[in-house]
Amino acid sequence: MTAKEQGEGSAGEYHPPSNQLGTWVVLGAAFLMVLSLFSVRMSQDPNSSRDYPSRTLPPGPPASLMAEPEMDEDYWPCSDCHEGEVTNFKVREMTEEHENRAEFSHGTNWCLDCHDAKDRDSLHLSNGELVSFDETWRLCTQCHSNKLADWRAGVHGKQTGHWRGKKEYWSCIACHDPHNITPAFKPIEGKPRPRCPDELTVDGNQWNKDMCRSISKGHATHEARDPEQGEKEDGHGQEE
Amino acid sequence: MGKKNDREERGGTRRDFLKLAATGAAAVSMAAPQAAEALEFDLETFLQKHFRRMSDEELEALIQRLERKYEQKYGKEFNVKATGPVDDVLFGYGLDVSRCIGCRRCVHACVEENNQSRDPEIHWIRVLEFEREAVVRGVNLEEGDAYFENPVQPAPGKMYLPIACMHCEESPCTNVCPTGATWEEPDGIVAIDYDWCIGCRYCIAACPYGARHFNWSEPTLSAEEINPDIHIIGNKPRTKGVVEKCHWCMQRVRDGRYPACLEACPVGARKFGNMLDPESEIRYVMENKRTFVLKSELGTKPKFFYFF
Ligand code: HEC
Ligand code: HEC
Ligand code: HEC
Ligand code: HEC
Repeated sequence: MTAKEQGEGSAGEYHPPSNQLGTWVVLGAAFLMVLSLFSVRMSQDPNSSRDYPSRTLPPGPPASLMAEPEMDEDYWPCSDCHEGEVTNFKVREMTEEHENRAEFSHGTNWCLDCHDAKDRDSLHLSNGELVSFDETWRLCTQCHSNKLADWRAGVHGKQTGHWRGKKEYWSCIACHDPHNITPAFKPIEGKPRPRCPDELTVDGNQWNKDMCRSISKGHATHEARDPEQGEKEDGHGQEE
Repeated sequence: MGKKNDREERGGTRRDFLKLAATGAAAVSMAAPQAAEALEFDLETFLQKHFRRMSDEELEALIQRLERKYEQKYGKEFNVKATGPVDDVLFGYGLDVSRCIGCRRCVHACVEENNQSRDPEIHWIRVLEFEREAVVRGVNLEEGDAYFENPVQPAPGKMYLPIACMHCEESPCTNVCPTGATWEEPDGIVAIDYDWCIGCRYCIAACPYGARHFNWSEPTLSAEEINPDIHIIGNKPRTKGVVEKCHWCMQRVRDGRYPACLEACPVGARKFGNMLDPESEIRYVMENKRTFVLKSELGTKPKFFYFF
């Protein structure tokens, strides 16, 4: 039977919806095409591992110390004012100058345990050795020796740059204020919390923050577990 | 090594058949709703070989193609790469839970570095807040609150636990992937070939840490926001219908740099390095600190260690 004969024959007895068969043929063909395309992809076994070329990274220069914070220009050099003056060893509230040191707190320490009385442009260790303001870690770790090993290893404190290559140590005073160590690290503002997945609906309800919170705590209830905390909340994510 | 052999032993025919069936079904069910909007269908991408099967020339061609495509789309210069692992390196990560203050700087640094969608929002790192008192009795992840907000961090009486991909040695997610689109690289990073991900989300179900995220709709990312330093199996921009997760900033760490989250951490709680190098920070952590991993009872062997 030729196509022509078939066409003529069916024209006589075949009534609408006559395009149904055609649709199926087209759909079927399309499906087979998709399948065959996928089998092209499947014939490539993804589990065989890639042959990476051998690669190394040079170790880089020895770690360096992060630049210590710049001194306030109005105050530097300290010897401008302190040169040849009579040193006042008394523990007191600073009124004439350095008022910002009023809230001093560092254990049992006082200014001249760290600052050198004769050379105000330096700090000193307990044996009298002078330490420049560019190496404050030497001062800190003399008393906080338990932090020295951790800091050297890059575990207390912080290093930036390269895990292999050039890296930079952060100095103690980048994180701690030697003049006020309570608390040891000053609290800072947090960054925005994640938004609720508000584009999703659950049981016909749009998600809201309280649901987020309770779901995140493993309680898929509509009530926040901690209503007090819920009240403190504001803005961001309150999409209805 | 052992893992790869296991896979091969499981044999070709049955697995291939199952994969074929799974992908076929997925193709039919996914193609329909997507067809209308997202079919700027690109046959080259569709026929693209699996990352691990591409020859160097094919990879180079792909890099060229992607650079052209992104430069056209975003109007700036891109550096697309497929940098391989460094010899004798097995990465590990450490996080000091006693110092973390829950400020979420890592979360947002990660979003910017790794081209996560801004709307709908995807965060690879989730920071959980716990009552300090409760944690003393043991960490129950279900009690963690990922949506906390406080005037300043840390809030009194709280402690924080950031969670992202643990890069497990026995990763359940890679084992369930029907297309082999996710696997563990020789340097220990669990990677995803986004072009081979069919969006079946088996891996999401398999991951005990909730570290994998799905693109339910087309991700949005503006030209200013996009990071043009791109690794093909790392922070390459994703499309609707694929899974994504942390890859330890492959585009950075394979050039020797620290991950973005580590650099963003103001308290220095995050430590990263080569576990095979006795001089590295991570080795120091493992040898001198009290470490723990999450859900160790599942035997997933995470390479992400918490310490205190
Ligand atoms: C503008 C002048 C001036 C400069 C510059 C200055 N100081 Fe002072 N400093 C004073 C005065 C005045 C006092 C005494 C304050 C008081 O007793 O109320 C003082 C007190 C001190 C003390 C308390 C101990 C003592 O001997 O009385 C220390 C420590 C100190 N200064 C350190 C410094 C350092 C370090 C610098 C440099 C960064 C510096 N000062 C720069 C004027 C100055
Ligand atoms: C624990 C050691 C230590 C003690 C105690 C100490 N300082 Fe300092 N001080 C430092 C270090 C380290 C620096 C440099 C780092 C900096 O710029 O904050 C410094 C810097 C300064 C500066 C100049 C920079 C600035 O921040 O203004 C002044 C002024 C100063 N100290 C005054 C004082 C005074 C006054 C006291 C006593 C009330 C005091 N210091 C006690 C360690 C100490
Ligand atoms: C002369 C000895 C001495 C030096 C030098 C010194 N400290 Fe201290 N530090 C102390 C003492 C004493 C305490 C109080 C310890 C306590 O309260 O238990 C303390 C406490 C601290 C604390 C808080 C500890 C806690 O448990 O909260 C920090 C942080 C700190 N110092 C940082 C520094 C830094 C940074 C430096 C260098 C600029 C430094 N210290 C230099 C003696 C010193
Ligand atoms: C990257 C920031 C950073 C650097 C750099 C840093 N610290 Fe700390 N340090 C912290 C944080 C965060 C804490 C924990 C504070 C807390 O528990 O509230 C801390 C805690 C401390 C404490 C007291 C608590 C404890 O764990 O015993 C001391 C003492 C201290 N640091 C000393 C140092 C010294 C000395 C250096 C330099 C050698 C240094 N730190 C460098 C961030 C830093």
